[in-house]
Amino acid sequence: MKSFLATFLFILTPIAAFAEASADGKVPAAEVENAIESADPPDAATENLVEKSLVRVNATRQSFDLTRPWEKTSPDRRLGLGAVIEGKRVLTTAEMVANATYVELEIPDSGRKATAEVVAIDYEANLALVRPIESDSDFLKDRRALKLATESKPGDLLHVWQIEDNGTPVSTPVVFTRGEVTSYFVDNAFFLAYEANGTLQYHGGSFTLPVLNGNRLAGMLLSYSSKEQVSNILPATIIEHFLREQADGDYRGFPTLGIAFAQTLDEQFRKYLGLNGREGGIYVSKVLKQSSAAKSGVKPGDVILEIAGNPIDARGNYDDPAFGKLSMSHLVRGKPFVGDEVPFKILRDGKEKIIGVTLERRAAEDHLVDPYMFDRGPKFLILGGLVFQELTRPYLKLYGDNWQSRAPIKLLLADAQPERFEKEGKKKIVFLTRVIPTPATLGYERVNSVIVTKVNGQEITQVSDMAEALKSPVDGIHKIEFDDFPGIIYVDASLAAQINEQLKAQIGTVERLK
Amino acid sequence: MPKCARLSLATSFMKIFQTFCVVLFCAGLPATHGQELTKTQPAKPPVVASAAAVDTAVITDNPGPGSSSRYEAIVRIENSSLVPDYRTPWNYGRDSAGSGTGFLIGGNKFLTNAHVVSDSRLVYVKKVGDAKPYRARILHIAHDCDLAMLELEDDSAFDGVEPMQIGELPQLDSLVKVVGFPIGGERISVTSGVVSRIDFNTYSHSGADLHLTVQIDAAINPGNSGGPVIQDGKVVGVAFQGYSGAVAQNTGYMIPVPVIKRFLTDVEDGSYDHYVDLAVSDFTLLNPAQRDALGLPNDGIGIMVAHADPAGSTGEILETGDVLLAIDGLPISSNGLVTIAGENVDMNEIVERKFAGDVIVLTVWRDRKKFDVEVTLKRFLPYLLTAKQYDKKPRYVMHGGLVFQPLDRNLLNAHNLDDLQVRYLYNYYATDEIYKERPEIIVLTTILPDAINSHLRGFEKSVVDRINGKKVRTIKDVNRILKNMKDDEEFIEIKVLGEGRPIVMERALVSEAQDRIKKTYNVLNDHYLAD
Repeated sequence: MKSFLATFLFILTPIAAFAEASADGKVPAAEVENAIESADPPDAATENLVEKSLVRVNATRQSFDLTRPWEKTSPDRRLGLGAVIEGKRVLTTAEMVANATYVELEIPDSGRKATAEVVAIDYEANLALVRPIESDSDFLKDRRALKLATESKPGDLLHVWQIEDNGTPVSTPVVFTRGEVTSYFVDNAFFLAYEANGTLQYHGGSFTLPVLNGNRLAGMLLSYSSKEQVSNILPATIIEHFLREQADGDYRGFPTLGIAFAQTLDEQFRKYLGLNGREGGIYVSKVLKQSSAAKSGVKPGDVILEIAGNPIDARGNYDDPAFGKLSMSHLVRGKPFVGDEVPFKILRDGKEKIIGVTLERRAAEDHLVDPYMFDRGPKFLILGGLVFQELTRPYLKLYGDNWQSRAPIKLLLADAQPERFEKEGKKKIVFLTRVIPTPATLGYERVNSVIVTKVNGQEITQVSDMAEALKSPVDGIHKIEFDDFPGIIYVDASLAAQINEQLKAQIGTVERLK
Repeated sequence: MPKCARLSLATSFMKIFQTFCVVLFCAGLPATHGQELTKTQPAKPPVVASAAAVDTAVITDNPGPGSSSRYEAIVRIENSSLVPDYRTPWNYGRDSAGSGTGFLIGGNKFLTNAHVVSDSRLVYVKKVGDAKPYRARILHIAHDCDLAMLELEDDSAFDGVEPMQIGELPQLDSLVKVVGFPIGGERISVTSGVVSRIDFNTYSHSGADLHLTVQIDAAINPGNSGGPVIQDGKVVGVAFQGYSGAVAQNTGYMIPVPVIKRFLTDVEDGSYDHYVDLAVSDFTLLNPAQRDALGLPNDGIGIMVAHADPAGSTGEILETGDVLLAIDGLPISSNGLVTIAGENVDMNEIVERKFAGDVIVLTVWRDRKKFDVEVTLKRFLPYLLTAKQYDKKPRYVMHGGLVFQPLDRNLLNAHNLDDLQVRYLYNYYATDEIYKERPEIIVLTTILPDAINSHLRGFEKSVVDRINGKKVRTIKDVNRILKNMKDDEEFIEIKVLGEGRPIVMERALVSEAQDRIKKTYNVLNDHYLAD
């Protein structure tokens, strides 16, 4: 959700993925050469070592067609790089292998390939671990495992590694300039990223590039703007967090707090909050139900003064020893682990109070409207040609760049203000996606995008309720009620069952309930 | 105006329809007052003079070729208007001018389109072949059906002129003539064509009302608006809208006799009382399962009530899932039509011809039982939110640089209000009964920058929920709450809908800044609340 930085913070648009950016604005070769000359090339020993730590990752990806949830869209292929780490595993980004139907690893110089599987993936933190499937387990035996450079600091010279088509590794120096908190590739999931300056040139098939500090892995390149020559790098600290979290086989992800907050720069607002004479603090404007903050007793109207001993300024930043001003989001999501208790100093009714906030993670599927969905299709159900599914934000995004103004208003409302629907007991929004014209749907062809409230008299809180309710038609007829026009429709149960059988023969399946 | 039949289905059509931009045929006047008037008439988009306009000569091959004197009851109407600016509601407004056509209906009374004389400051009427302008008064103006009645200050100016007679609804494919003062020349123009279609359609003057229209293929051009469409020497319609040539060819619309007669009857008592409405959105009963479930015989009769608006005529009477079998004894087919005089027309046509306080009888099917119920018809007010407003000064309150305005279609368009919350409240105002909680939706539209509000950027376009704990239901509430604060209230605390923080301003600072802001931004009055 609007997890942390929702209301009054900067809105960050991730820069175009590297491959695209470079294809558009390729820099003149001369400039690149200059850049390389002016920096210290990594010594030969390092190069040799790094070369042995890189593999190509080739993924074929296919996502579900949300307008026809029983189908997948046409596959596309993404080529990128991975860094070999301990345990004969390859680290790459989640973006690289999300929705992958086939993944293979390739040794750059020899071109040797092996089919691989994804063993861990975190879409929010944009990280994934890939390894060759069992029969090829010695595939990586001549590869060296990279260690993490978690202590990189602004000013450090980093090297971005690419591999040319002929298998030759190429490194380009960039200067680490600052740390900032930004979203990687899933909306509203904010993490620390390094920003680095330096000109990069595109060397084919390079999505996700390992970035090294000396001979250790400092991060993975997320995006590069050829216009500004700025790289965004997913840092080793987040990688380390990911690796530690998945080590015990029980992956719990990165914690979320679940508040929206407002800055307190406004003097009149500070006075109103009783903050005069104090410094900093941010105003909690909303606490999500079932969130870590709610469960630990944080309330709307509280002012957060400190997190884990770090004073929070009026903009919502703290002073990070390594990076300077950094969003407090990092103190919640980046540093602690799920299950940790972090002390919050708050101001409530003019009194300071310490609250221990036990951090949890809210998974995408725990939201009323899943903010993202990968490697699975939406739950859906077809009734005689009426296609119902659970609403997800990727569905809303089908309405294009201006989806926030073009998608149906009630569906947008469910995404933006889930509380009003959760209050009614809804776990998911089940809506009529489309109507396949059949004898059972006669007269209903133009009904769509309406939210189901009841089926055969039973409240519908998710698709599985609907499957259950459809077991009890009244006098052979299903009654389906909506929150909007046309209010009620009726479907002949045996005709619908018959048509479902025909559809099953044509499209394979008429429901996905898990 | 029926909150129509098959509402949602109609909506998607309507959107497409609107992008075609129905043009109102009221011509803009050239600048004659030394101001750039021609550039300031966005409400009446001038249509590029098409070939059709050039062809509009007096038709001589009709029976009884005439001189222009036989059209002496037909007049040119020139209107100077003052269009308010909802972005700066305290300003005087923009001057504009336009012209259209009208006709004498007897007793110094003239009929024309509402849009010809909307937002009027000054109206003049000119006779055929007489350059003298006669000053006119607007007696009645009906924005919901785009008709207006005028009278001249000089009540003897048309003595001896034969008024025009009102005829009947013309037959499909019958010949009609359009007479008026469109662009292309100064003198009267006649074009002719046939009746192409008789159908319910949106009246684009309000943008929210549907009534019967008649489509004709005679050329209708800017300036024809308000002019008579004639058949057998009688008026069978008032030319009023059409598509620009870029969209559809030879597609003009007239307001047919039933709508004209209704208007004339309505104003007989000296005031216009508007259309009444069932305020029911209905849904077809074409699916056999619907009929089985409801226990209806498969006879093609009956339409289902999808929603009966509580604020409408049937709010207390009908429920979702009821079936309407007949209206005033006329059976309603399962796609919502009734048969009158051999013609299938929308069932709302029955209601269309009624007046406030009239009673109709609905035959309703509920729980497999049939019963008759009398419905006293009344106007459905919530729909007005989505109708374009005219002849009104925008209401507002400006306090500490914050400008509060009640939401309506004019405001939505002027401020380009695209916030999800605002769009929801606007679009679902009637169906989700938003008006119960918020008779007016108060939007903080603009912040006039000043030192005291410099941290409030980003709050523009949000909906005001409470001020100092008090619920805001109307623009008057805003003014009353802000002006009647107690001495111990140190802050003004404004809660807006959404998940942000409250807007907080120190009262002392606001009081001190108010005059300064008024001066800086030339806001003569810090509020206008009407009556």
